[in-house]
Amino acid sequence: MVRAQISMVMVLDKCIGCHTCSLTCKHVWTNREGQEYAWWNNVETRPGVGYPKRWEDQEKYGGGWVLENGKLRLRLEAMGKRDPPSIKDYYQPFEYNYEELFTEEIRDQQPAANPINMYTGEEMDVKWGPNWDDDLAGANIYAGMDPNWRILEKEIYLNFKDVFMFYLPRICNHCLNPSCLYACPRKSIYKREEDGVVLIDQTRCRGYRYCVTACPYKKVYYNWKTGKSEKCILCYPRLETGQATVCTVSCVGKIRYMGVVLYDEERVIEAASAPENELVKAQRDLILDPFDPDVIRQAKADGIPENFIKAAQESPVYYMFKRWEIALPLHPEFRTLPMVFYVPPLNPVITALDRRGKYNAAYENIIPTIDELRIPIKYLASMFSAGNEEEVRKALKKLVAIREFFRLVNVEGMSKTEASRVLSEHGLSVRDADLMYKWLALGRDRWTIPTRKVELRMKIPKRASR
Amino acid sequence: MKTRTFMILVILMAASITLTGMGVSLVTAQVTEIKAPYIQEALPLNPKDPLWGEVELTQVPLVAQLLAYPMSLDTTPRSLKFAIVHNGTHMAFYIEWDDQTMDVEGGGELNKFSDAVAIQFPVQEGELPYICMGDTANPVNIVMWKAGIGAENLVAGSAYGRDAKEREALGLQQVPTSPIEMLPEDAQIWKSQAVYEDGKWRVVLIRPTGSTHPLVPDLRPGDSTSIAFARWEGSKYERGGAKSTSGWYTVKLEQIAVEAVETVTQTQTVTTTQTTTETVTQTQTQVTTETVTVTETTPAVTGAVKGALVGLVIALIAAILALALLYRRGMRPS
Repeated sequence: MVRAQISMVMVLDKCIGCHTCSLTCKHVWTNREGQEYAWWNNVETRPGVGYPKRWEDQEKYGGGWVLENGKLRLRLEAMGKRDPPSIKDYYQPFEYNYEELFTEEIRDQQPAANPINMYTGEEMDVKWGPNWDDDLAGANIYAGMDPNWRILEKEIYLNFKDVFMFYLPRICNHCLNPSCLYACPRKSIYKREEDGVVLIDQTRCRGYRYCVTACPYKKVYYNWKTGKSEKCILCYPRLETGQATVCTVSCVGKIRYMGVVLYDEERVIEAASAPENELVKAQRDLILDPFDPDVIRQAKADGIPENFIKAAQESPVYYMFKRWEIALPLHPEFRTLPMVFYVPPLNPVITALDRRGKYNAAYENIIPTIDELRIPIKYLASMFSAGNEEEVRKALKKLVAIREFFRLVNVEGMSKTEASRVLSEHGLSVRDADLMYKWLALGRDRWTIPTRKVELRMKIPKRASR
Repeated sequence: MKTRTFMILVILMAASITLTGMGVSLVTAQVTEIKAPYIQEALPLNPKDPLWGEVELTQVPLVAQLLAYPMSLDTTPRSLKFAIVHNGTHMAFYIEWDDQTMDVEGGGELNKFSDAVAIQFPVQEGELPYICMGDTANPVNIVMWKAGIGAENLVAGSAYGRDAKEREALGLQQVPTSPIEMLPEDAQIWKSQAVYEDGKWRVVLIRPTGSTHPLVPDLRPGDSTSIAFARWEGSKYERGGAKSTSGWYTVKLEQIAVEAVETVTQTQTVTTTQTTTETVTQTQTQVTTETVTVTETTPAVTGAVKGALVGLVIALIAAILALALLYRRGMRPS
């Protein structure tokens, strides 16, 4: 069974941490009572604790799946975990008393807008927020709490802030094997047949919050006002009219890419049950080649419209995740098969300053080898490949190769054919390089969203035939 | 060898008899019928009203729901006490239970779950519905009280058996939203009030005896029905299926005493003529039902018969098995 999914890639080297995505999302979808604390889109600084605090620590939050005797089981069930996160795990939502700026009497000093508690309206002392550790603020306290450290040597851990940081924007991953969906006893959550968007039916939801616990990315938010849970809807009203999500469109760094991928639905559970170090590969194997005539034939037979197939062929997500293997899923070890992918950061291609404040120039080339990069591969592997360093290395090597290729052409004056040897080592062609340049460097044609057709609407039970 | 086989037979027979016994207590309702006395005054919604100190309370044991996901994690035995009274036009439930913590959701709290209680009624007369919230053929009506939210009148089990037009006519959404659905506004007939004091919840739930909605049972003086309870402890993160439940109980709304009816008519004639006619019809029905009550088969009785039958079948199977074993052993040289 061929299915289509609209998914996203974020290129982390390009993220400047401006939070424009979060703010546009907030203003469009969650600027209302009950969702004050909810950031369907948020940007985290890494190393850091993220939002909610230490969300990756499933021993604490009970999200995702565990493999028990080869079978998938909800971790919340395996753990007997019943309580969702508290407001303390997120933060106490606050506003600023802007009124003060206009009404304060004239004094010697400037008027100040003090933070006020959004629930009580009282002045408050802000002690934590959704991006409190932004740009490594308070890193000596908070960065050490990053769950991804567990596999790193203490030395790197202690020196990291002289060495590296990067931003990690996050939305709902619209997973192929969503644990939130399976955790809902009322079957309020569904994955849309036509584009794979995972939604919560607000008429069915009774606010039990099993989904909040079950989502390993903590991307389901309970609305305490309506008593129902909500989540990122991948701006589906926009998608249906062929527009990208607001976070994608508003992205200053042009880091977000969107497109259709075709996948084999029957092998989803098999892929989610793969051994940990093969999870990325198993997920890649699920994605089908949209140029393969057999795939096209089957896709049509399974009701996927022409424009979706065409979009899949132009999809940056297909190229980056499947063909080029430069994009990786976030924490595949949660086994939900997340469908938002990340191109791991090279984090400017220079090595670390040494103790005397000098660059360690122990490499021959201008472009260093992967293992000389500032970000420990182990750290990235912990986030993007369930610890499989080879997957990260493979992605980074290609990113370096493409830089090397264009340097050879533009600086050394080599012909493209001549320079293409650095590409072929990594299985890339000149056409691939040109496409990468168009997408990654120039940021053109970052999304292809097919418009939805009426006949593709969710199948609802038939009315009585009378 | 023979004695051993005989022993097995005896054990099997004993087991089957015990099962029969258990079958009766598990499958059917409690045989004892709980009376809902008639009182002449308006029913007090306030749980602190002296009336609730005078009524006779029935203790209901509750067990943790351990059949379906998500199960209750706390399996310690629980209970609640309840009483039911009516005044001809309305019926009231008084429910109380011990709970060390008062849990009310809302107010920006994300991991708080309300303490709650629910009463389940069969929608149709006759055979009792499946105790776990009914099924398509035999739905249940549920009133659920949640701390901070109040009473909601719900229907469970009925959804999937009806077509879109029927559902629309019932005020439900055309497409079933879930096995447990909120009834439309005009069927929200329950009023509630609750007090939490000294580690104890006291809840009063009142509804008119008559019903205008087909999925809400019509319960008039003289009628019997079956009820079952569920209770949630918010402090244990209980919600939805994570709860503790009771078996079926039979309750009977006491007939209105003739003198009592007269006084009611007397007081009510003053207000409107309409109410007078209503009370008159009630007295009429009283007369007819009175004669029937003796032969009336309550759902509980049919349930008991069914339970006994199930037990008997189990006993028979066990006996046949034992005999077969005996026969086989007898054939074999030992």
